[in-house]
Amino acid sequence: MAQQPLSSAVPPTDIYGGDEVSALVLDPGYCSTRAGWAGEDVPKSILPSFYGHIGSTNTNLFGDEYLIPREGLEVRNYMNRDSVVEDWDVAPKFWENMLVKRLQPERPTAPGKNGLNDDPKKDGEGDVSMDGATAEAAAEAQEEQEQEKALQENPLLVTEAPWNTSKAREKTTEVIMETWGCPAFWLSRTPTLSAFAAGKATALVIDIGGSNTNVTAVHDGMVLKRSIQRSPVGGLWLSSQIRSMFEHAEPKVALTPTYLIENKTPVDALAPAQARLRKFPFQIADSFRRYEEERVLTEFKESVVEVWRGNPGPYRAQGTEDFIKTQPGRVFEMPDGYNQMWREQRYRASEGMFDESVGYPLPEAERITKEQTIPSLIRAALEAVDVDLRPNLLGNVVVTGATSLINGFNDRLNNELIGMYPGVKIKIHAAGLTSERRFGAWVGGSILSSLGTFHQMWISRKEYEENGPGIVEKRCK
Amino acid sequence: MSSNDLRDVLNLPDSSSASGTPGGSHRPSKKQRLSAPRSNLKGLAREVQSLGGDNPIAIVPEVSSFKKRRLANRKPAARWDLAPFRNSARDDPSLMLRHWRRRDGQHGLQQQEQQQHGTNADASAQPTTEQNGAQVKQEGDNEIEDSAFAKFNVRPSIPQYTDEQYKTHLKSDDWSKEETDYLMELVTDFDVRWPLIWDRYEWNPPATNGVADADGDESKAVVPKQEARSMEDLKSRYYEIAAKMMAAQKPIHVMSQAEFELHEMMLHFNAQQEKARKDFALNALKRSREEAREEESLLLEVKRILARSERFNEERRELYNRLDFPQSEQDISSIKTSQGLQNLLQQLMAADKNKKRRSLMGADNAHPANAAAAAAAAQAQAQAQAQAQAQESSRRESTVASTGATSTPTGGKKKGNQQAERPKLTEKEEQVYGVSHHDRLTSGPVFRSEKINKMFTHKSNQQQQRINNVLLELDIPPKLVMPTVATTQQFEQLFAAVNALLDARKVADKLDTELKLEQAKKAEREAKESSNHGEEDPAQDKSNPDMPVTKGDESASKEDNAETGTTSEAQETTEPAADPNGEEPGTQDPVEGEGSKEAAAEESSGGPHKRSASVLSTTSDKSAKRQKK
Ligand SMILES: Nc1ncnc2c1ncn2[C@@H]1O[C@H](COP(=O)(O)OP(=O)(O)O)[C@@H](O)[C@H]1O
Ligand SMILES: [Mg+2]
Repeated sequence: MAQQPLSSAVPPTDIYGGDEVSALVLDPGYCSTRAGWAGEDVPKSILPSFYGHIGSTNTNLFGDEYLIPREGLEVRNYMNRDSVVEDWDVAPKFWENMLVKRLQPERPTAPGKNGLNDDPKKDGEGDVSMDGATAEAAAEAQEEQEQEKALQENPLLVTEAPWNTSKAREKTTEVIMETWGCPAFWLSRTPTLSAFAAGKATALVIDIGGSNTNVTAVHDGMVLKRSIQRSPVGGLWLSSQIRSMFEHAEPKVALTPTYLIENKTPVDALAPAQARLRKFPFQIADSFRRYEEERVLTEFKESVVEVWRGNPGPYRAQGTEDFIKTQPGRVFEMPDGYNQMWREQRYRASEGMFDESVGYPLPEAERITKEQTIPSLIRAALEAVDVDLRPNLLGNVVVTGATSLINGFNDRLNNELIGMYPGVKIKIHAAGLTSERRFGAWVGGSILSSLGTFHQMWISRKEYEENGPGIVEKRCK
Repeated sequence: MSSNDLRDVLNLPDSSSASGTPGGSHRPSKKQRLSAPRSNLKGLAREVQSLGGDNPIAIVPEVSSFKKRRLANRKPAARWDLAPFRNSARDDPSLMLRHWRRRDGQHGLQQQEQQQHGTNADASAQPTTEQNGAQVKQEGDNEIEDSAFAKFNVRPSIPQYTDEQYKTHLKSDDWSKEETDYLMELVTDFDVRWPLIWDRYEWNPPATNGVADADGDESKAVVPKQEARSMEDLKSRYYEIAAKMMAAQKPIHVMSQAEFELHEMMLHFNAQQEKARKDFALNALKRSREEAREEESLLLEVKRILARSERFNEERRELYNRLDFPQSEQDISSIKTSQGLQNLLQQLMAADKNKKRRSLMGADNAHPANAAAAAAAAQAQAQAQAQAQAQESSRRESTVASTGATSTPTGGKKKGNQQAERPKLTEKEEQVYGVSHHDRLTSGPVFRSEKINKMFTHKSNQQQQRINNVLLELDIPPKLVMPTVATTQQFEQLFAAVNALLDARKVADKLDTELKLEQAKKAEREAKESSNHGEEDPAQDKSNPDMPVTKGDESASKEDNAETGTTSEAQETTEPAADPNGEEPGTQDPVEGEGSKEAAAEESSGGPHKRSASVLSTTSDKSAKRQKK
């Protein structure tokens, strides 16, 4: 119990301008979807946006705990690589699973249905009268529907990619209003919210997420549309760099995901792995393996990959690689026990983010151009806003997205920016807490929707009913 | 079981028996001693504790009593309700959100009731019929709390116009009404935040010939009617409208000051200038690293220069203040006695001290933050003071040399030091420090410039005027601006030279007239002789004595001329004019001897005879320059 007495007369709205209305915040991303209560500092529920699909029964399984080797299980994502929802059959179910099943307390079954009050007699002759049965079914359906509208008490704030299509926005609106029956909702673009999470209304937001990276200028709490720049340089691109790195390593490194390993014996560095692989009596889908590999790669990113900071020279400069070879490296043990010291390679894998000419060879489709490197994105984004805003934006650079957590990223970005805009004061704001960086947009949404002044913004049910789903385009600009 | 029992069991010697005394006799007393402080322990705790025996185990026994009740907590816990509230700032104020509110007494009860009401209404209002909404609203009006944040919703006022007004006031060749409407809509939507307005500005002129729907979009996309509007275009159009509508609503002459200023500002929005400014800003952003660094260093330099010039001005002002002496109009009889002088001395000393302190404080105040600058200033001041002191001390020295006893105001102490360790100064050093030796000096401080004034005032009025004229001709002010030792010395020399010249000319003129007189006499005599020979031309006789008189007049007027303006020429002409007369060297000598000895040392090129005026003028030029410096 807190020792100091809490002044409980009035919630201290005057201090931080908060006014909680039990709103929910949903932040769907390509790699993971986050949901939680507004006003909290981390989302309560975080699920991978990948879900399990079993073709034979046509069931979808949501949540990490279901993504296990299983017959006929296929791993799918309800989003496309643009972070725009693609599968509108699954997405609402997925979200509902998070918002209702994982966030709300279990609701007791209605007394009429829980079986305790059933009339045994009626049960006996239930099959006889068809009319009664249909009527009952109809009533049941209605009841079910009513129960399905489980978010009737919670306003909902949903985030979206800045380039979200208006079709997707309207679809989201329909789901929120029709399927869940929320009293009010709001759609907000991730850069705005990331800026809010950093405590800024005006910022240049650099979001290095899973499937792509975007650089967007936010002015006074609104996205400047012309400034929106995006490129595939994100977590997945980095993963393919690492895959290519494994391919080109000497000896080749096999990427065996953890689920395949039955047991392993420790081996020396660079020695071939000694592990017994698990055998499954059924076919494992490629998508599942890929998903599992991605988990290993994320671990590799977290612990090995680093961004070359630019000292003593740029990575591509003569001699830099030789210099790095003399520096201490990092050892990584693959799930199968193979281990190796990584030195200059771990810098080279990430260098392509800044310098397209360095990096490991990728298949044509994944290769990036100079315009897609992060410095070019920043330049292009700034070029597309008014000159007067640029110095201010450079003084408020907000870095977010889980891939920005790679070691040295911020230092490198700072060096790049100083090199690009000498004479301008540059300040990078990157949350120190890992969770804030990973869930930047969600945290911003949590702040926004618990602000007292935000309640005038919500699109209410009445407004929706008067205007139809098109209202979202009018209001959430 | 105590430790002693344990020891018994294990057949260990009693710890106290090591000291030699029999164990039995000690046992009870020890037990008492041990148990005394731990009497509060019970059960197992006591057993464990006693295991330690003589060396008590370092276990802090837990006090198993509950925390004291907090006094503040005696009241029943506060009740909180999930209370619905509205937000009147909303476009749709019927939205009912709920937040937790503490219930307080009677009002709380009401609220609870009403809350139940509210939830009922909420639930039933789901398929919102108009009626229900109205009911909710009605209810809300008297009972449901309005959000405390509603008041923060402020909207800027955006000018509005009717079709009529548009036609009369706002027509523009460049802007269609549709586009203007679109602009105003955006301005309203984005609360006059220009970056956003410009960012979202996507005007598609409506298709003209009814090809609107099917492929209209495409044609629009292919043929953009006009190039994109810049932010300045948008701004100038908006300000134009705003200003005109303002004037239309309220004639200019009834506007308040603030309104009028706003109107003027909007009316005179200069898009061109804004564009130029932005171009500059763009250039500034595009600077290379070197340029940026250079600019930075230049800015620093400018700052330093400004600071230095300020300091310099300050010093100079102070110096002038020091040099400035008040022209006393007062009766000086009070300080004619030595007693009076002593008093004056005291006064001056006090005033001087005050002044110094003030100037020091002033320097500190001027740069309160910039410590370095202040320090520098202080240093500079110290230097200035040191200089001043050096000068003063030189003066002092001279006074000391003559009178010995009188002390100068600024520091007898310092003088003592100087006397104690006065080094032998070489001639050069003497010059540097301004040490001079005098045979005789008047007592008390003397202003150097006063010396010159004295020289001046000793002369007659006419002479003063003449001297002034000469000085004017040489472009030298009759009063020295900065009477340093060197300048006064030069000035004295110049003065002497001018005097000598004037004297010489006087003598020359006198001789001239005498000569002419004699010549006239001679002519008369010759005429007489010739008349003695024969009286042929009496007119000639008559005219001859006349001539010298007129000549004399002429020379007099010439002298006047010289007085009023032309000098160096006149002087130069006087020399050759005087030369052939033979008497000249004699009169010229004093000029050379007195005036130009030093000048001759400096400029050895000029011969002794050719010099007088020209050399004089060059040296005086130099002194003039020095004065200007
Ligand atoms: N600590 C880390 N260091 C580097 N990359 C990471 C780290 N944690 C997660 N990632 C990568 O970040 C990506 C997910 O980023 P995230 O911002 O959550 O994406 P999204 O918003 O699109 O869901 C994944 O590709 C993952 O591999
Ligand atoms: Mg994201």
